[in-house]
Amino acid sequence: MNAETILSVAGLTKAFGGLTAVKDVDLELNRGEILGVIGPNGAGKTTFFNVIAGSMPPTAGTVHFKGTDCTGMRADRMARLGMTRTFQITSLFPALSVIENVRAATYRFTKTGWISSILRNGAWRDEEAAVDRAAIEALEFVDLAHRADANAEALSYGEQRRLEIAIAIAAKPDLLLLDEPAAGMNPEEGQRLVAMIRGIRDTGISILLVEHHMRVVMGVCDRVAVIDHGEKIADGKPADVVNNPDVIRVYLGREAVNA
Amino acid sequence: MSNRIFLPLVIALALAVPFFTANTYFHHLMVLWMLFSLLALSLNVIIGYIGELSFGHAAFFGIGAYTAAIVGMNFGLAGIPGLLLAAVMAGLFGFVIGYVSLRIVGPQFAILTLGFGSIIYTITNYWVDLTRGPMGISNIQPLGLWGEGGVALTGARGYYYLTLFLVIAFAYACHALLNSRTGRAFIATRENAPLAASLGIDVFRIKLLGFVVATAVAGVAGAVYAHYLTVITPDVMSLQYVAALIIMVIVGGRGTIAGPIIGALIYVVLLELLRALGPLRLVIFAALLTASVIFLPGGIVSLWRRLTGEETKPREAAE
Repeated sequence: MNAETILSVAGLTKAFGGLTAVKDVDLELNRGEILGVIGPNGAGKTTFFNVIAGSMPPTAGTVHFKGTDCTGMRADRMARLGMTRTFQITSLFPALSVIENVRAATYRFTKTGWISSILRNGAWRDEEAAVDRAAIEALEFVDLAHRADANAEALSYGEQRRLEIAIAIAAKPDLLLLDEPAAGMNPEEGQRLVAMIRGIRDTGISILLVEHHMRVVMGVCDRVAVIDHGEKIADGKPADVVNNPDVIRVYLGREAVNA
Repeated sequence: MSNRIFLPLVIALALAVPFFTANTYFHHLMVLWMLFSLLALSLNVIIGYIGELSFGHAAFFGIGAYTAAIVGMNFGLAGIPGLLLAAVMAGLFGFVIGYVSLRIVGPQFAILTLGFGSIIYTITNYWVDLTRGPMGISNIQPLGLWGEGGVALTGARGYYYLTLFLVIAFAYACHALLNSRTGRAFIATRENAPLAASLGIDVFRIKLLGFVVATAVAGVAGAVYAHYLTVITPDVMSLQYVAALIIMVIVGGRGTIAGPIIGALIYVVLLELLRALGPLRLVIFAALLTASVIFLPGGIVSLWRRLTGEETKPREAAE
């Protein structure tokens, strides 16, 4: 595996008044890697995720993405740099058709503006064709091409979650942040998700996955970091992390029995 | 009927209409329809595309009208340069007001635009040296190519063709917008701003762009209006016009191109038919708006789609 670092988080701290949700976390993600971040409810996973994704500035610490310091950078600028995210609660363009949802995601790698579309020049035509191709590819990837013309709100829950992933990958990011993608999924859908996440990585996209569905995390991640009370308490291969006594105590104690 | 046949037919009809009758009052109503269409289409960029409600749109129409009247009066620039200046002036105000207001969204934004609109209206009313106050400006020159003298546009028929051209041009620009990267960003921002931002769209900048374009086009409409009627008063910025424009967009169908044009037609026709009722007309317009919001949220154009079955009906989930 290429050991080049794509995301590097150092001493990341986020405090809300007196409550420190994330405390001094260091984390590195290599290009082409699938890294899982797990932890019990309220451990600070989501806050950690939101700070990296640019939804909120950190109290202290730095975030470097592809060598650029993007600490506290706004979400849209982060996305233009090549980092896209999904949301914990289903987030789509509900009134638009499935294909329009995905087309909107091509913003970051397209260039021609309003004037070109008025002139209908060659650059516009080429780019619209590229947008359509990217949109259809993304839909085929998540097996939703047959639903392209349906309204997004008419999709089933499982289909909507897949559409979210299609939107994220249609943006052609270098790094994809997935915020609890398996939430609310049945085991079968979870299996499908695991295969999909591997497929995304195989196209060259690195993945940071925040999740507490153990089966998904253990099944797909190359490496797992465990957060508890805002602090990183373990970081390593899934098999090692599962056997880490600290992890068993704070988190897996309950679930390892079922897993 | 496909758009390829339908659209040229409509345009041909629109070109031929003034020759069906020599009645200049009818021509006058056609000009009003086109002017309101242009205004409604521009407001539609704000309401329909970027998804914000503006109560200040009539102010930008007024800024355009006053700019054209004042530069025509003081510098004799009554032609195309006056129109362009009106667009720039209205767009500039749009930029400053949008820059301040668009960081806030939803009802608060609507209230801010109401406030800015009232400020502009009040200043126009009281800055007598510049605007001649409530008396308004009269004897505005007709629209020429370049200032006074030379070819000047007079008569309702001429203005009808000018405004028809402007409406078609801007409607085409809106159509092109929806098939462009910028248009997709507008719609994405309207539908789900946090998701749009996560895809690299600078939500504030996109909204500001839409707002400035909308206000600049309203300025052009105002300038043509001033040259056409040759007299303007601060009343063009009053709340009555603000409400009328919103009614046109919502009743016609926001977010569509035909909607605001049909909404403007309904407004102009009803205004004539109900002339005998006096101020009671406003009650009827308000009722129309209310009924539309409740029974036909997609506006009149959604009725057309429903009848022809063009709309992709939300299918039942397959799984």
